[in-house]
Amino acid sequence: MTVDRPADDSSDDRRTDGGSDHQADATDDHRTDGGNVGAAATDTEPLDGDTESAGRIRVRGTLVEPGTAGGWCPDIDTRMATLETPLSSLLTSELDITPGTNALADADRITLVPDAHYPYHPSSGVVTDPAVVGATVAILERRIDGEVVVAGRSDDTISFERTAEYLGYESLLERFDADPVDLASEGHTDTRVTVGDDTVSTLVPSRLTRSTVVTMPSLRPTETGRVAGGLRTLAAMLEDGTDETDASADSRALGAARAIDPALSVLDATTVYAGEPYAANTLFAGPAAAVDAVGTSLLERSFEADDVVRRAFDDDRPSITVTPVGVDPESFDLESLRAALPTGGLPPADDTPAPVTAAYRLYAAVSGDVVPPQLEGGE
Amino acid sequence: MSPPVLGRWTDSSGLSLGLLGVGNIGTVHLKSARAIDGVDVVAAADAVPENRARAERAGVDRTYDDYTTLLEDESLDAAVIAMPPFLHADAVERAAAAGVDVFVEKPLARSTDEADRLLEAAAEGGIAVGVDHTLRYQPDVRGVKQAYDEGRVGHVPYASMTRVNDGPLGRPPAADEPPDWALERDGAGGGSLLELGVHCFDVLEWLFGDLEVESAAVDATLEVPVEDAATVLMRAPETGTTVTLHCGSYQWEELPEVNTRVRLEGVTGTISNADHLPTNFYADAAKSALSNVASRVTGDDPDIFGPTFYYQAHYEALSAFCEAIQRDETPPVDGRDGRRTLELAETAYELAAASDRDGVERPEVRT
Repeated sequence: MTVDRPADDSSDDRRTDGGSDHQADATDDHRTDGGNVGAAATDTEPLDGDTESAGRIRVRGTLVEPGTAGGWCPDIDTRMATLETPLSSLLTSELDITPGTNALADADRITLVPDAHYPYHPSSGVVTDPAVVGATVAILERRIDGEVVVAGRSDDTISFERTAEYLGYESLLERFDADPVDLASEGHTDTRVTVGDDTVSTLVPSRLTRSTVVTMPSLRPTETGRVAGGLRTLAAMLEDGTDETDASADSRALGAARAIDPALSVLDATTVYAGEPYAANTLFAGPAAAVDAVGTSLLERSFEADDVVRRAFDDDRPSITVTPVGVDPESFDLESLRAALPTGGLPPADDTPAPVTAAYRLYAAVSGDVVPPQLEGGE
Repeated sequence: MSPPVLGRWTDSSGLSLGLLGVGNIGTVHLKSARAIDGVDVVAAADAVPENRARAERAGVDRTYDDYTTLLEDESLDAAVIAMPPFLHADAVERAAAAGVDVFVEKPLARSTDEADRLLEAAAEGGIAVGVDHTLRYQPDVRGVKQAYDEGRVGHVPYASMTRVNDGPLGRPPAADEPPDWALERDGAGGGSLLELGVHCFDVLEWLFGDLEVESAAVDATLEVPVEDAATVLMRAPETGTTVTLHCGSYQWEELPEVNTRVRLEGVTGTISNADHLPTNFYADAAKSALSNVASRVTGDDPDIFGPTFYYQAHYEALSAFCEAIQRDETPPVDGRDGRRTLELAETAYELAAASDRDGVERPEVRT
């Protein structure tokens, strides 16, 4: 992966070459990256020398002015004000292209899909900062006439209504002509997509197949250690348990991406979580799979071991160029960012770490003491 | 208010106990009760089938999906009320009607008004009311109390207490649905002040005598309906101590670590609960195991929840309640103590609302 150094005008040549100019055909086996994937690459092998015409994928990155002392500004208005300029830089190419050629500029309906899977505090980096979403909505509403919604999905753990309320989306979106939408309560389209050797059949929220989708993940790992990313964020929007083709979760994620064909992914790396939070004050935008690859690289996860990201490029290793944009592109340093980021995972799934639970149960067996329910460990 | 009329319990065969609510904390009480000499756990009630099944696995012979049926059908001496706060008053009233002493999870009620109603019903029914304020039973807090009472640092002009955990929302990865009631004023009566602050008020008055709340601030780090952070400035006239309390439900917690800090700044030094905490879970487990094995030989009482001092504190609190009931004594932490913690919390809410720093409203619970 490379970082383009800005020329005289850093706004030049920023157009993503992802497949943003065609809508998903739910029955097609089309490539999310528009087939413009180039030479092999790994996280650790710089890809200098590729030319864009040879298949280089461009992702844009921008720095965000650091917040107040402590790395987090609690005032969402201040955060949104800080974010608008860098987000505008990221979205300029999506919004300024000649009418008729750009998915966002031409969109009648835009659906933003942030990582809002649970009401964790956004300063943790485990969810997308609502201020990033709010600033994006503000920019879109100024620049386009289409409808903008922010989508999430209720699941067995919590309703999206509660999550949206607790994270502040409800009050935030009241300022705009935008609504939070629970995809679980809307219609779905039975969709069949071929992903490699798998045929994935699933119910995709119809809104996501009929609108221009921008996925907005936070830079964090999943429970299994992979990058959460835009593709998996989209997969979380599917109707659960409807796949009759026994496809793997990874295939479903890829199927979702191909059926939905997101126009863009905006990666919120303002606060990154990887075992601990880190105020990285950075945003990325570009084709969803490429942005996920950038996230995989930044968190020092293996590209090869991540079925979703690797297979999104049809097992080719992509050539991805990160182009700095914004007010201070000279200061954008991907390697320094990667070095500064933590590389850990989420906390353990159990309330109590497994070694503690095991130790307590051993103790109880030896001593005859009772075991509190919190330490039963699935007893 | 009249003290509870005691002296009703006379059966020498054992204290028959029922559990009204056997979720997580109710199950801690259940397992504690089964380990207390002279206590027979006869029945448990819970609306959730999985909780009833767990109680049955823990050795309870009869379970009910409705606590009122349990109270009607069983002959109990005492009951543990471990249901959400909005059910406490009704449950105490029904227990009072049945003549069953109660040990109530904190907060005793959602407001002092509701606590008054609850305690009036208890007095009319002649039942004792105990409250599960456990911090004073923790070894680290007891260590602070002992050192302070022994004058180990002289006069204490300033003390601070912090209790922070992850509250109803927990930490990632998300597992269970957070209960609605825990984040609603109508359900819980308030946020972290009623969830954690009441424990701290109980400890601080246990240490310093009556407290006067001088100012307070409450905050919400997310847009939840109740506060998830509160800071209270108090004065203890008896000891001349200024006290600050911070409690919050916003910090990820990973057991066995718990974030409870008590520091007394004295003339000659500092008393800290950190100096009295078990230093290593595994070493403590090994020590308790050896102690319990030895107790089988010597006939001494074994440790209960030995390596986990905070669960051990629940055992100690329930054990002390049951012992008081068996001796026809007032419970060591009784309804008046529980009500007092609510009174301090309400004063803090009023002062916070008066300063209205951030617009978090004071809880108002109609009873």
